[in-house]
Amino acid sequence: MSTAPPAQAYAAALAGFSLMNVHRLGALLRHHPPEHAFAIASGHAPADGLIGRVLAKPDVRDTWRTCATTHSPERVWQRCHDLGVRVIVYGDPDYPTILLDDPLPPPVLFALGDLAVLEGRRVAIVGTRNATAAGRDVATRLGHGLGASGVHVVSGLARGIDGCAHRGLLGAQGAGRALGVVASGLDVVYPREHLQLWRQVAEHGLLLSEAPPGTSPEAHRFPLRNRIIAAMSELVVVVESREKGGSLITVNEAADRGVPIMAVPGGLHNRSATGSNNLLREGAGAVIDASDVLIALSMDHRRSGPAASDQRARPRRDDIPVYEACAGEPRTIDSIVLAVDVSLAEAAMSLARLEQAGWLGQADGWFEAVGAPLR
Amino acid sequence: MLAAIHSATLLGVEGRSVTVEVHVSTGLPAFQIVGLPDEACRESRDRVRAALLSSGLAWPSRRVTVNLAPSSQRKGGSGLDLAIAIGFLVANGDVPSEAVERFGLLGELGLDGSLRPVPGVAPMIAALGGVRPIVPMESHHEARAIAEGEVFVARTLREVVDALTGEAPWPPAPDDEPDIDQPDPPDLVDVRGQAAARLALEVAAAGGHHLLLVGPPGSGKTMLAQRLAGLLPPLSPAMALEATMVHSAAGVRLPAVGMIRRAPFRAPHHSSSMVSLVGGGTSSLRPGEISLAHGGVLFLDELGEFAPTVLDGLRQPLEEGVIRVARARVSASLPARFLLVAATNPCPCGGGAPGSCECDDAARLRYLRRLSGPLLDRFDLRVGVQRPEVDDLLAAGGGETSAVVAARVLAARQRAFERCGLVNAQIPPSHLDLLAPISADARLLLRNELEHERLTGRGYHRIRRVARTIADLHGDSDEVVLEHHVALALQLRVRLRVTSRGQAA
Repeated sequence: MSTAPPAQAYAAALAGFSLMNVHRLGALLRHHPPEHAFAIASGHAPADGLIGRVLAKPDVRDTWRTCATTHSPERVWQRCHDLGVRVIVYGDPDYPTILLDDPLPPPVLFALGDLAVLEGRRVAIVGTRNATAAGRDVATRLGHGLGASGVHVVSGLARGIDGCAHRGLLGAQGAGRALGVVASGLDVVYPREHLQLWRQVAEHGLLLSEAPPGTSPEAHRFPLRNRIIAAMSELVVVVESREKGGSLITVNEAADRGVPIMAVPGGLHNRSATGSNNLLREGAGAVIDASDVLIALSMDHRRSGPAASDQRARPRRDDIPVYEACAGEPRTIDSIVLAVDVSLAEAAMSLARLEQAGWLGQADGWFEAVGAPLR
Repeated sequence: MLAAIHSATLLGVEGRSVTVEVHVSTGLPAFQIVGLPDEACRESRDRVRAALLSSGLAWPSRRVTVNLAPSSQRKGGSGLDLAIAIGFLVANGDVPSEAVERFGLLGELGLDGSLRPVPGVAPMIAALGGVRPIVPMESHHEARAIAEGEVFVARTLREVVDALTGEAPWPPAPDDEPDIDQPDPPDLVDVRGQAAARLALEVAAAGGHHLLLVGPPGSGKTMLAQRLAGLLPPLSPAMALEATMVHSAAGVRLPAVGMIRRAPFRAPHHSSSMVSLVGGGTSSLRPGEISLAHGGVLFLDELGEFAPTVLDGLRQPLEEGVIRVARARVSASLPARFLLVAATNPCPCGGGAPGSCECDDAARLRYLRRLSGPLLDRFDLRVGVQRPEVDDLLAAGGGETSAVVAARVLAARQRAFERCGLVNAQIPPSHLDLLAPISADARLLLRNELEHERLTGRGYHRIRRVARTIADLHGDSDEVVLEHHVALALQLRVRLRVTSRGQAA
């Protein structure tokens, strides 16, 4: 590149240093313009305060000096430019207003997509990666309902609930858009199977990361990613979470910031819902469908509610007991035979009809009710 | 100075007739065995000499040459000991040669002159042809099952010599042990609940469909599999003979009546080697577990823990019903027509109801991918097994007994045999419409499954065969397979999460 890189390039390069963390980066950029901060970190300018103490450690000093050449601002800037990634430094005019007062704001943000998404109403939908079919279904319908009502959905693009919420939102093709906050660099798709979803979110919404392109999804980055999700949302909805799930980190971060928390009730025997059910016991608002979220946002929820017309054929009368048995908890055909008191052949016929009509889903021999409940 | 004795050796599950020629001549004292003996066979030199001396017989200082004809075939095992010893006595002039020419001799000698059983007596007697067998006392029931004429038995070399020279009568054959057949296989009545798995066992037995049981530990997969052999009908005479030959050749103890009539049940551990499972190994090509399961059930618990190469080795015998084992100089075909039942956990942690599993998707996929592919494809029946409910465990009285189910299985098998002479699992796809026509609503049901991609083309044929078997079991006189037969067949083929992603449904 012939011209000197802009100030953001220096901040972006610093964010990619080894042994860099959000506190050190924050301290560097809070008191110095990015060019000067880069000079300090690479040892070309005197340091004081926290950075002075950090640079007193020989390993940090040596590592940063090396990084200053491997992560040169020109190179990082070129890479961001090639990928279409925007670099936003704390204090820039387009830095998200909502993060300005955050206790631990991201010093640098990398963005792919439309920054206008930051303007609208934003609700986070988070949950476990090991979701049940029912949980995935609820997440999809919530995403769909919120998207149709013009609410942006913030989520982490993880497997399970996160992915389903965004898929539901994208499927609605409404005014609501997707805001994905990821832990890795914006060009490192994780999990791999979400490549398609990842692209769609960047295209129709906004992808944000605190890490420069090329950063791999290391475990310590995920809790930090969760704090950004909490900080950017007006409301956090937990669909399914285990007793000690990662989504509870998002919940704690949200609680620290005064962001209200809601949860979707799950079956008492469902281990994937232990954490979310505990939230309900501690006083979180209950979410059954998107209208509950809209009410909490004081939005007009009358247009929402269950889809106007369920495409599925209403089950036969003799299939309804089988459906209801599966609606309570996941069931095997054996337990259906016992619970409903039908023969194996009759149960098989009912299950075949219900599955074909889309009322039930099956995996590994377990049947679960999917879609909007039968009313 | 020359003697020729009939005997036999074993290759695979077939006996091979061997003539033991013994030549005693003047010269430097020596004892030599020629004619491609293996190590155990060559060592018979020392056993024979010690046994003769212990039995009070002479060992002259002369030159002894033993030839095992035909000389080009490799001979293995210790079963020729008796023939060599008697051959020496004939050549030495202690036993008249006319006395032995119509006998075939089998058995190993102990240093004290006792006669010991060897594996494969049944096939070796079959190879002896018309001559009358002399076998160790312990092999009597095995020999009786095969031999057409009288079988002579002895406990020691001395008894054989005395009987041949006419100094003593043949020792009496042991009394037939009371006809306690093999211990009764476990009964289906012990199984509580598990309606779907019970039906799957019945269908597997009736149609010869291979069965995969998927469920968490402690859900009773092994218990169910063990009860399958009891549902199979008694072996046909031809099958019983083959099974007896295999068991005899492998040195597995036969039932008191000699012939194996019940379907065998074999459950090799998942650490089993390729050779132990498919057979081969030594130059005598010993039958493996899949041949021992011939006519019965081969149960592979923890299917995913078996070495992938071992599982691949099962594919050819699953198709053809025989396993051809070839080594550099020898090859043999071992019968291996068995019903494969396998069990696996749904994921590394054991799994259970959705949401209770601790594994992440990647771990689940990795675990199930070990099973996927061609082998997984050969299971017509895939059934989820869950821990029975407490009420079921405590309820008085189980379901039907094995006898009741076995009667239905037999009737269904007969129906299938009358129709096409095959078990339903072997109906070729091109004959399905002829042999297993389905009603219009059943066809619609299958069409919907295919359209929703819950069923692949291959799965479609398997479902139709299974539905045929279910219809046969229901005994509906109408030959058409109905909708509820197909619906049940669909429930007996659960979609594993890995297969629902289109890898092998």
